[in-house]
Amino acid sequence: MQMQVQDAGEGLVNVALVGRLDTPGVDAIETRLTAHLVPRGARAIVDLSQVAFLGSGGIRMFISIARALGRRGGKLALYAPQPLVAEVLETTSLNDVVPVRADSASAAAAVRG
Amino acid sequence: MPAARAETDFPGTHAGFAAGFDWLRERLDAQELGAAPRYNVELVFEEIVSNIVSYGAVRGRELRIRVTLESAAATIVLIFEDNGIAFDPCQRTTAPPHARSLEEAQLGGFGLILVRHAARSFTYERTSAGCNRVTVTLQRAAG
Repeated sequence: MQMQVQDAGEGLVNVALVGRLDTPGVDAIETRLTAHLVPRGARAIVDLSQVAFLGSGGIRMFISIARALGRRGGKLALYAPQPLVAEVLETTSLNDVVPVRADSASAAAAVRG
Repeated sequence: MPAARAETDFPGTHAGFAAGFDWLRERLDAQELGAAPRYNVELVFEEIVSNIVSYGAVRGRELRIRVTLESAAATIVLIFEDNGIAFDPCQRTTAPPHARSLEEAQLGGFGLILVRHAARSFTYERTSAGCNRVTVTLQRAAG
């Protein structure tokens, strides 16, 4: 699992994830991703376009980070999931509590709103 | 396609989980399986085995997991057996948690929701040898 964090300006952080968000994938990035985003209460958008697999561990990770961000004035949104990953987001109702958008512009609008 | 059966046995540890997943991928690579059914098979394996590894261990006993993969024309059946704590996942909730806010959202329980969504059937029995046996049947075709 690979992760690239980029400051996109105006307080926005873009995170690109590449690989599988299964148990080993979540173990590989959760601590680093949390450390990048949560202490500064980031407004963060996460690019899922190159995530080929998402399991329940990834769902738990996103809720945990989004909740911690919310307590610090930040916000998390996800964007561009592949169809099978999008189905997991819908099945678990993650999209009820974390915005999931089609592209980076609409995800950025969701965390700024 | 002719029915095929394969099984593996591995320790209920993170390393065992990884080895088991490698075994599953090799078997699936050898089959003509669409993207969605393959995703579902891997998702079921991920959720059931990670649950066993995380919560199944009994103090003083090595946790072992046996997985059987049965492939037929219309279905794929995964059978998970472990010697851990008795646990019937079929008794758990079927309804997705509808949280109105992040503070209300559950952090757990999603794995079994995903298994139920992916599976055509999902059964549990406690064997006479004192093991958990979970049988999950999936459709070969997307749908």
